[in-house]
Amino acid sequence: MSLTDVLTSLQALPLSTAIAESDWLFPTIESLHVIAITLVVGSIIVVDLRLIGVAATNRPLGAFTAQFLPITWTAFALAALTGSLMFLAKPVSYVGNVFFLSKLALLLAAGLNMAAFHLFVERRAHQGQALGATRVFGLTSLTIWIGVVALGRWIGFTI
Amino acid sequence: MLNAFAAWLIKTPVTAFLENAAWAVPTIQTLHILCIALVFGGAVFVNLRVFGLIERDQPIAAVLGRFLPPMAIAIVVLAITGALLIASEPNRALFRLVFWVKMGLVLLAVAATWTQRRLLLAGSARDGAATTLSVRLVAGVTLLLWVGVIFTGRWIGYATGWPGSPS
Repeated sequence: MSLTDVLTSLQALPLSTAIAESDWLFPTIESLHVIAITLVVGSIIVVDLRLIGVAATNRPLGAFTAQFLPITWTAFALAALTGSLMFLAKPVSYVGNVFFLSKLALLLAAGLNMAAFHLFVERRAHQGQALGATRVFGLTSLTIWIGVVALGRWIGFTI
Repeated sequence: MLNAFAAWLIKTPVTAFLENAAWAVPTIQTLHILCIALVFGGAVFVNLRVFGLIERDQPIAAVLGRFLPPMAIAIVVLAITGALLIASEPNRALFRLVFWVKMGLVLLAVAATWTQRRLLLAGSARDGAATTLSVRLVAGVTLLLWVGVIFTGRWIGYATGWPGSPS
C-alpha cells in the first residue's frame, strides 16, 4: 500500500468528509488551533526570554520554567489534535504542500533543540552555569517557533 | 459612508502594494498572530495566577507588572497590522457582521483587562490575596472575551458580506 493509498483512504473516512463538507467544522477547529498555538508560543516566549536572559532573570531558571511548561504541553496537545483534524480534511493536498512539510520539519527541529538542551545543558543551567549555551538554545527555540507560526500562515494561502 | 470609505481605501497605494506583494499579507498575519500570542498568553498567565494555579509564590502585582507592558505593546502592533489587513482587502472585512462583533469584543476585552488591573492592584494592596468572588468573575469574563476575539477573528475569513455590500 503506497502513501497515496493511505492518504486517499484517510480522506475517505466519515470524519474527514464531515470536516471537509461542513460549513462550520473547519473554521471552529481552526479557531481552537489558533487558541492552542497562541498559548504554545506565548508560554514558549516566556520560557525562552528567561533562557536568553532578558526577562525574569531574578527568578531561578528551573522553578520559573516549571510554572509555564505544563501550559506549553497542554496547549501543544490541543494544537496537535486540532491540526490532525484539519489535516484529515485534505491529507493529499497537505502532504503535497511544501510549507506544511517545512512546518513539520521545524516542529521536529524544535523537539530536537529541546531534547539537546535537556540532555546537555539543563542541569548546569539550573545551577546558573552554561549561560552562553543556554542563551543559544533559547534564541534557537524562539526563532524556530516564529518560523512555525509563519509557515502555518503560508499553508493557508497555498493549500 | 462605509461604502465611500472602502471605495477610497481600495484606491490607496497601500492596498495596491499589499495586493501586488504576495508575501506581504501572510507576513502581516504572522506578526498579527505572534502579537495575539503575547496578548492572549499574557491574559491567560495573569488569570492562572489569579486562580492560584501558577506563580503562587509571586505577588499578583509582580505578575501583572511582568505581563501587562508587553500586552500593551502587542495591542498597538495588533491595531497597526489589523488596519493593514483591512487595507489589503477592504471589502473582505468592513461589510461582514462578524468583523464588527470582533471589534466590539476587542473593546470589551481591553476594558475588562484594564478593570482587572485596577481591581487586582487595589486588592493586593489591601490584603495581598485579591481572590474575592468578583475578582474571579472578572477573570473568567476577561478570558472568555479574549477567546471570543480569536474565534470571531478567524471567522472573518469564512463569513459572507451583509446584503447589498460591495464584493
